[in-house]
Amino acid sequence: MAGSAPVAVDADRGAALERGFAWLAATDHKKTAAKVGIASLFFFGLSGLLALTMRAELAQPGLQFVSDHTYDELFTMHGSGMIYLFLTPAALGLGLYLVPLQIGASEIAAPRLALFGFWIYLAGGLTMYSGFFTNSGAGDDSWTATIPLSNSTGSPGVGMDLWVIGVALAVLGSLLIGICILLTILRLRAPGMTMLRMPVFSWTMLATVFMVVASFPVLVVAMGLLLAERHLGGVFTGSTGSIVYQHLFWFYGHPVVYVMFFPFVGAVGEAVATFSRKRFFGYRALVVSLLFFTALSMAVWGHHMFITGAVRNQYYSLTSQLLAVPAGIEYLDLIATMIGGAIVFRAPMLFALGFILQFLLGGLTGIILASPPLDYHVNGSYFVVAHFHYTLFAGSLFGLLAGLHFWFPKATGAMLRERLAKVSFWVLMVGANLTFFPMFFLGYDGMPRRVPDYEPRLGDLNLLATIGAGVIALGVLLVLINLFVSLRRREPAGNDPWGAQTLEWWTTSPPPRDNFTSLPEITSYAPLLDRLEAAEEERERRGAEVPA
Amino acid sequence: MADTRGDFSEVWALYLWIGVGVAVVVFVAVGFALVRYRARPGRRPSRVAERNALELGVATLILAIVALLVFRTFHTEAEEDNSSRADAVRIDVDAFQWGWKFTYPGQGVTVVGNSNREPSFAVPAGRPIAFTLTSSDVIHAFWVPGQRFKRAAIPGRVNHFDMEFDDRGREQGLCSEFCGLRHSAMRFGVWVLSDGSYERWLAAHR
Repeated sequence: MAGSAPVAVDADRGAALERGFAWLAATDHKKTAAKVGIASLFFFGLSGLLALTMRAELAQPGLQFVSDHTYDELFTMHGSGMIYLFLTPAALGLGLYLVPLQIGASEIAAPRLALFGFWIYLAGGLTMYSGFFTNSGAGDDSWTATIPLSNSTGSPGVGMDLWVIGVALAVLGSLLIGICILLTILRLRAPGMTMLRMPVFSWTMLATVFMVVASFPVLVVAMGLLLAERHLGGVFTGSTGSIVYQHLFWFYGHPVVYVMFFPFVGAVGEAVATFSRKRFFGYRALVVSLLFFTALSMAVWGHHMFITGAVRNQYYSLTSQLLAVPAGIEYLDLIATMIGGAIVFRAPMLFALGFILQFLLGGLTGIILASPPLDYHVNGSYFVVAHFHYTLFAGSLFGLLAGLHFWFPKATGAMLRERLAKVSFWVLMVGANLTFFPMFFLGYDGMPRRVPDYEPRLGDLNLLATIGAGVIALGVLLVLINLFVSLRRREPAGNDPWGAQTLEWWTTSPPPRDNFTSLPEITSYAPLLDRLEAAEEERERRGAEVPA
Repeated sequence: MADTRGDFSEVWALYLWIGVGVAVVVFVAVGFALVRYRARPGRRPSRVAERNALELGVATLILAIVALLVFRTFHTEAEEDNSSRADAVRIDVDAFQWGWKFTYPGQGVTVVGNSNREPSFAVPAGRPIAFTLTSSDVIHAFWVPGQRFKRAAIPGRVNHFDMEFDDRGREQGLCSEFCGLRHSAMRFGVWVLSDGSYERWLAAHR
């Protein structure tokens, strides 16, 4: 007995290790997606801590905690981390998990490619962050790495090289995952799952991966060229070099904004339909508007270059403002889905409403930025910082949390704590607006982006934003505690805890290796709701036939 | 036309109030839906899932608003693109890490300063100023928040623009394009002077 105990422990440990390796090497799309999700959450935490450090420095004018150079690393790695390593992969990871389940597929197309994409992305993220351990420090030229500041003279050192390589790898990894999702949608839909019966979320993913496939390769190439410029020179030179780089960068840099937006419109759409007990309103109009949006998204990048005097401002102003049309249709459809419903306020619905109302401020201020005479004032200011945090944080992150709270029971088989979820929603809502609303005024009043120090007259609004950042940190902590508690002391979810409408709720929670053991007849984009309504009608007919 | 502040204010007012209007409509619509259609015992959700006439109507309405906004933007943009008048005061601006050089061609006046010593240049109030702007190293941006205007300073390129400073006094200017270590201290002042004071300022700096 005494001698056999350590052996048993070793065997246990060995088995656990083996299971761990098996999980890491597993090509099941659900496990690959979980890996992407966990990695992106890790980078969200790191990049969020950088933001908190920045807000601490900005609480008061003057330099208190960090040097000029450290601050440059902070905002560079915060922005790069959030865009390249968190929101983009998280959006694609959500698609990797859900699309096969929503379209009734047992697997993704090219599962090994998706797994490879994950490892490439993870390697890219770690490479980018490893710059902090070099003498020169991490990348310090913002998430856009504008030429000529990002060449070997402007930003010398291996940390910046690691940043360039890291971005290339992370974006390449996201691209590979996007390709797998595209192939899955085109090739592996279940019998009866026509394109116009795909759920709303899957349609937003299709539009997303169109943009991924069209724009991400351009950034991978641009990063390759930037690396060549840094080590060989002669790539982005002369009076046009810096402009050419900006064209390449923003050709990726604007579509990626919608890559971090569309999937969350889809997630919010599914939550709103489910908790309004109604099918999504205006499905076909949404599909048309998504495709229109996608096409336009490839033609607006020059609005990031209005002040350069090197692009045709009128053209990009026109295309950018036209985005209001498909965006307006999406809003109409979301609101019209609620109207006439029987709305239930569960946590995913609250986060969805937060997305709808807060993203609106980001979208409307985006129209302001699309007008050159207005951009000439607010470009490069905190107004822009406020604008894109309303889209990416108060918008996309709330959409992601709507999706997380909605699909967590499906992926884990356990319910999240509802009350804790609602508390975290309200804390995040207060924190987001306290942090980002003052920034509109800061920018309008003359505070530029990417500065560790500012005029004393701007101190009060900055302090308010810093307090808000603390509230956000508390909210995020509550979400993490909820995930942890709900996984430790599980409340079983069952197949369909919400009374939802799409195929992923037909199978078990979590779904088996091959996703489905059976499929219902696929009659529309809300097959489970179709069954429910058919059953209701059947009951009523019976009731009418048999008088009481 | 060089009244950047006036141009901005007109366009801004239109965009801001239309934006506020849209926000109010959406907030009211969402609020109405949440109150009126919350789940109650016996409420049966509607099965209406499509109204293409409504979609088309809303799309047309938004398109009309966009057309108005784009028209206003193009109108002002065309005015700001108009080149300098002959009587404009000329100032050449050269940005560098991390400072500014302001040259008055033909006047023999140059003002230079950096992040340690902020430069200030002078302009006559109410007269158009024709700027040329370039950079000696990386991309910077010349921003005068009080005038609601900025332009990028790009090495190897020269940008031309007009401004007009109406109120006498001092305007704070700064770099708004991240340009490296001392970006936050890359600032400048603009003295907006009467014609007489401006001439005396020029004479004192020759």
